[in-house]
Amino acid sequence: MKGGIEEFLKTEKFEGYYEELIVELEKLNSKLHIFSNINKGLSTGLPFSVKDNICVKDVVSTASSQMLNGYTPPFNATAIERLPKEEFGFIGKTKMDEFGFGTFGINCKDHPLNPFDDRYVTGGSSAGSAVATAVLKHHISIAESTGGSISCPAAFCGIIGFTPTYGLVSRYGLIDYASSLDKIGVMGRSSADIRYVFDKIKGSDRYDTTCVDHPISKESRKKLVIIDQLMAGVDEEIASSFDRTIGKLQNIGYYVEHKSIPFIEKTIPAYYIASMAEASTNLAKFTGFKYGLKINDFSKGYNDFFTEARNNFGLEAKRRIVLGTFVRSSSVKSKYYEKALRLRHMMINALGVILKDGFIISPTMPIKTPTVKEAEDFDPVKEYSIDSITVPPNFAGLPHISFPSDYIKGMPVGTQIVANHFNDYALLDFVERWESQFEYRFKYNVGAL
Amino acid sequence: MENEDFDRLLRICRLSLEKGEKAKIKHEIDGIIEYFNTIDGVDCDKYSPSYHPIDIPSKRRKDEPEQFPDVGKLLRNSKIYRFFIVGPKI
Amino acid sequence: MKIGLEVHVALPTETKLFCSCSTNADEPNTSICPVCLGFPGSKPMLNDAALKSALTVAKALHCKINDNTYFLRKVYFYPDLPKSYQITQLDGAIGHGGYVDISKKRIRIRRVQLEEDPAKIIREDEYSLLDFNRSGIPLNEIVTEPDIETEEELREFVNELRSILYYAGVDINKEMKTDLNISLGEERVEIKNVTGIKNLVDAERFEVKRQGELISRNQKIPKETRAYNSETLSTISSREKESDEEYGFIYEPDLASYPTGDIVIPEVVIASDVARQLSSKYGLNEATVKELVMFDRHALGLVQYGLKRSNANRVINAIELLKRHGNITISDESFGKMLSYLDKGLLLNEDAIKSLQENRQVEIEKNTVSTKEIDKAILGIVAQRQDLVREYKTNSKAFNFIVGMLLKKYKVNPKYISERLAEVLKDKA
Repeated sequence: MKGGIEEFLKTEKFEGYYEELIVELEKLNSKLHIFSNINKGLSTGLPFSVKDNICVKDVVSTASSQMLNGYTPPFNATAIERLPKEEFGFIGKTKMDEFGFGTFGINCKDHPLNPFDDRYVTGGSSAGSAVATAVLKHHISIAESTGGSISCPAAFCGIIGFTPTYGLVSRYGLIDYASSLDKIGVMGRSSADIRYVFDKIKGSDRYDTTCVDHPISKESRKKLVIIDQLMAGVDEEIASSFDRTIGKLQNIGYYVEHKSIPFIEKTIPAYYIASMAEASTNLAKFTGFKYGLKINDFSKGYNDFFTEARNNFGLEAKRRIVLGTFVRSSSVKSKYYEKALRLRHMMINALGVILKDGFIISPTMPIKTPTVKEAEDFDPVKEYSIDSITVPPNFAGLPHISFPSDYIKGMPVGTQIVANHFNDYALLDFVERWESQFEYRFKYNVGAL
Repeated sequence: MENEDFDRLLRICRLSLEKGEKAKIKHEIDGIIEYFNTIDGVDCDKYSPSYHPIDIPSKRRKDEPEQFPDVGKLLRNSKIYRFFIVGPKI
Repeated sequence: MKIGLEVHVALPTETKLFCSCSTNADEPNTSICPVCLGFPGSKPMLNDAALKSALTVAKALHCKINDNTYFLRKVYFYPDLPKSYQITQLDGAIGHGGYVDISKKRIRIRRVQLEEDPAKIIREDEYSLLDFNRSGIPLNEIVTEPDIETEEELREFVNELRSILYYAGVDINKEMKTDLNISLGEERVEIKNVTGIKNLVDAERFEVKRQGELISRNQKIPKETRAYNSETLSTISSREKESDEEYGFIYEPDLASYPTGDIVIPEVVIASDVARQLSSKYGLNEATVKELVMFDRHALGLVQYGLKRSNANRVINAIELLKRHGNITISDESFGKMLSYLDKGLLLNEDAIKSLQENRQVEIEKNTVSTKEIDKAILGIVAQRQDLVREYKTNSKAFNFIVGMLLKKYKVNPKYISERLAEVLKDKA
């Protein structure tokens, strides 16, 4: 199956195309709050959007945080730099949970709304990126996942979200959440489009130590493994939808096995410990005078000055800074921070054994898309628990994809497939096979040719 | 967590919370720490901490100077006085 | 008394520790980039030369080298620290468990680590001014055990350490910053950020006196951090509360762990060891040899070369002579030639020494004079100027006048002339 990018690049007539596209998009943006800014000067290439925590040269990049108000990086993230200018045109920065801190996409000012029904959340944290992909006919979005920030909104917004193996795409230009967990990935409407873009942006980078030049394999697997503990808390309707998806996959030659990893549920608190520890150091740099938000009264002592500036973090950011600082403080560091990382090691080994000859499959999210109202009422621990299925592959740096697999009462449902480190192409092949017998639905097709 | 410890933690982070906010956040944080404590029971001491999920090669940079192409743009974000970046009083 | 030091020296690299900005810059904030400004989105990339240089120092200090070296984030808030954490080391430092020998004892080195320098900060009344050219300069931190017990040992250790650093390729003329831990009683007092060697010794002296007085008055010495003021020559308590310090070290996830096994490190000469060995082997004064070679690798080379070929004292005199004439760097071969002239009882004047460097044979010979000829000249003057000879014992001007006359003519080593003249006059008197 050919992707939209190929089709788009073959087209020659673009008279008035971009002007119309932008008018339509701005209209939609005022309804769904997708972008923090739209590039009105776009005049060439396939429109791509960028999650607001990824730097685009000379464009305000804030990670949807007040703390970064006005921050204008004088450099491109490597992933952006590598997209050929003659093929892709930057259309705007997409909204997100502040610094990536959130499961629903509601931790920012005027947060995005679900394109299928605007009473519902988009999922987060790559909220705007998912919506942009869901509303634009020809589009890819450069997004980022730390603990599920690509899979979750992809599932809730009915698009494909690809999170590559940790280290395959350079993080240079990414405003860090948790450096050992952050992965730049791609959102799109077809596996072919995602593959096309992934091939452009991947590979070793002289500006990012942790970016590797590892060969990427396409070792297909017929065995799909369901980890029983991951299914434990899954909503009934989601579970039966998942059964139907498995049925469809069995029809095209896959078979299913069940496995048990008793400690896998502990990876969620472990993931939050590790990610908050790193986040609390990454967010220490925001002190209100070199970039972003400014405090103008320099005569204040630096401690008061910094405290006043840092008061502009959102609530969830503050929570995570405090918790992250706590779990790495000297008296409890081995109990929390180090232990969480040992647990990660144990989990990577356990998942590695399963992934040697199979993919791990599950619903992407254990719940149906909540409404904004419902999401606002979640307390933090409950919200963190919702990430139960997206966290394990993210914590382990394993490549995974969420793809649309069903529609319940008009709302999309996603399935997540996980492969072993560096077997990324096999995942894209898998989704391509899925697409041969399943048609994705979209409510908007802005910019259709 | 004791209130005293919580206040100390806030000072270390250079964060302040408004009165109403503070009790709520402290309560939530206590709940989250309790949730974190659930990893206590997992026996994983024989595993070394995994600082990265994959092996990171020890890539290094050659010691060859390169000028950042647009120093002016770096400084446009700050207040400048005679080439210096102005910062808070020490 | 126990003294431990944390010495910080800049490593000799062209670029900063984690970015390609030059380490040489004049105007403030011209050698900066997103990395050393801590801009969101930037990432560090380790400078290979800094790693090698730090390894060289660690090895020279007899440290055990960690198989894998890695970095930590040390989190604290100060305007000069761009990311509000410093990338530094602790466990996993470049080296640990080394030592430096001084004359009567061994000072143990706890750790040698690599870290980034913060920006330069200038205090003003209503604000501070920052220059990020310094931000990210690679520093080597050398941490000693508290083995230093006297001011003399402190001086000797610092001198020895600087010599080792010099031979490891570090520019020792750059500012050295030291944290001085000093305890006369139970509690440890830390004096942060003392610049240079004179200040270090002055700070130590003040602190010994201060703590000594507290003890003699039966007062407790509180555990605290102090700052040294070079104008008042005293230390004052810093305001920061220790209980609010919490660096919360974590592994630096933006960097890798670096294996050290396959990195080739040059062997570093410990000049004072060599000086000691040579002095005892050739019967030379150890202090004299050290003075010549501790901070001059060229001189050390000449000493080693010369001792195999000529009389030991003559070699030392020759090098002293060279140094007196502006530390002329001559080749081993030319030095050999110089020694052969001296062996023949010839003296070389300033022009001859300069010609040696360029190996201009004719010039050298034109400017070389035999001791016999000088003796003849001395006797000539003595015969003609009996007035001066009579006066020389009571009037040093008379003596110096004769030396001056001879120097004007021969431009050779004044020390030789005055010694020879003194001998002749003594005979005549």
